[in-house]
Amino acid sequence: MKFIFDLDGTVTAKETLPLVAKHFRVKAEISSLTKETIQGNIPFIESFIRRVHILGKLPVTDVSNLLEHIALHSKVCEFIQAHKEDCVIATGNLDCWVKKLANRIGCQWYTSQAKVENNKVASIVKILNKEQVVKRYQDVGEKVVFLGDGNNDMEAMRTADIAIAVGLTHHPANSIMSFADYLIFNEKALCRQLNQLF
Amino acid sequence: MSAIKSVVLSCAGIGSRLGLGQTKALINIREKPLIIWQLDLLREVQDIRIVIGYQARDIVREVLKVRKDVIFVYNHDYFNTKTGASFYLGAKDANEYVIEWDGDLLVHPDDVKLILRTEGEFICYSDISSEEAVYVMTDDNGNVTLFSREDGDYEWTGPACIKKTKLQYTNGNVFEQIEPHLPIKGLKIRAYDIDTYEDYKRVTEFVKNW
Repeated sequence: MKFIFDLDGTVTAKETLPLVAKHFRVKAEISSLTKETIQGNIPFIESFIRRVHILGKLPVTDVSNLLEHIALHSKVCEFIQAHKEDCVIATGNLDCWVKKLANRIGCQWYTSQAKVENNKVASIVKILNKEQVVKRYQDVGEKVVFLGDGNNDMEAMRTADIAIAVGLTHHPANSIMSFADYLIFNEKALCRQLNQLF
Repeated sequence: MSAIKSVVLSCAGIGSRLGLGQTKALINIREKPLIIWQLDLLREVQDIRIVIGYQARDIVREVLKVRKDVIFVYNHDYFNTKTGASFYLGAKDANEYVIEWDGDLLVHPDDVKLILRTEGEFICYSDISSEEAVYVMTDDNGNVTLFSREDGDYEWTGPACIKKTKLQYTNGNVFEQIEPHLPIKGLKIRAYDIDTYEDYKRVTEFVKNW
């Protein structure tokens, strides 16, 4: 069995891009985009490109250092670290921004990819398709549990064998509820369910 | 309460026979929604799983006002299924032993305690009070030996506790899921289910003295 975790709000206790935006004082530009995206009003890929266009101008090392120390859901992380071989994080975030955070958590990650020049994001090379990550494991016979909270998790949750809508940081997007097997708002309850599945 | 038992509270149905226009979990019994009565009575249960379908968002909102550590389980096919499907969905990834608990069944608080401290598998029944009941036959030791639509010693009410590995997905009722595994130990309780408006009025009176 593979447990695939969305990053923002599921593993992290805060959304990453709004945190970056606030830190570097571009909050107003990012927050409305993020809100509309979570609610499903702007397609994820369009929103992601627009957000990278704004945040890509920031020094990559500064963003990476900031995200390395973002608050995490500690019990969720404990589960991941106790079952590193069976847990995967799938995030639309750019590899250059979350590389240090990935090292801190320690399991395998799938991310979007960017070309970096002069410590800035020069271009987006690949945008992660979470559904493909789910299928990759199913194709080799794994039963997949997907945990997410946003509209961009919808297809992955539809495809997964078991889909858990996670409301630890904010109420999950309504669009994912049609595909959710479970809806959980409490970290202890979530980890209990993960251990029951394991 | 044994920590190893899960409780599956089935609240996915439409509640059409009651005629109050909303799912039974949300009807008010003495100014408190039925689902909150259940959560108060099941306060000490660690692994409580609420199966939701019709009016799911409204139930979630109500539950989160009093308790956040429940696991909501979706029965998306609630219109075409009965309590057996909800029980299976709620139980399949739960602890080894699972207590089935209909969301529209109010159990006397003293009997809730009895249920939660009883080990192993069991089936609860009450004195016969309904005309269209499912009945249970019992042996000399109080074990349930048979479910019947015709007659019996007592009325099947639930809750029931069973090993989750014995359950399979079904479009039928909970008792039909349990039937192949009889005999199972019986527990006589005071329980009142709310199917009709008359039941609703009666339960409202019953809980006065709780």
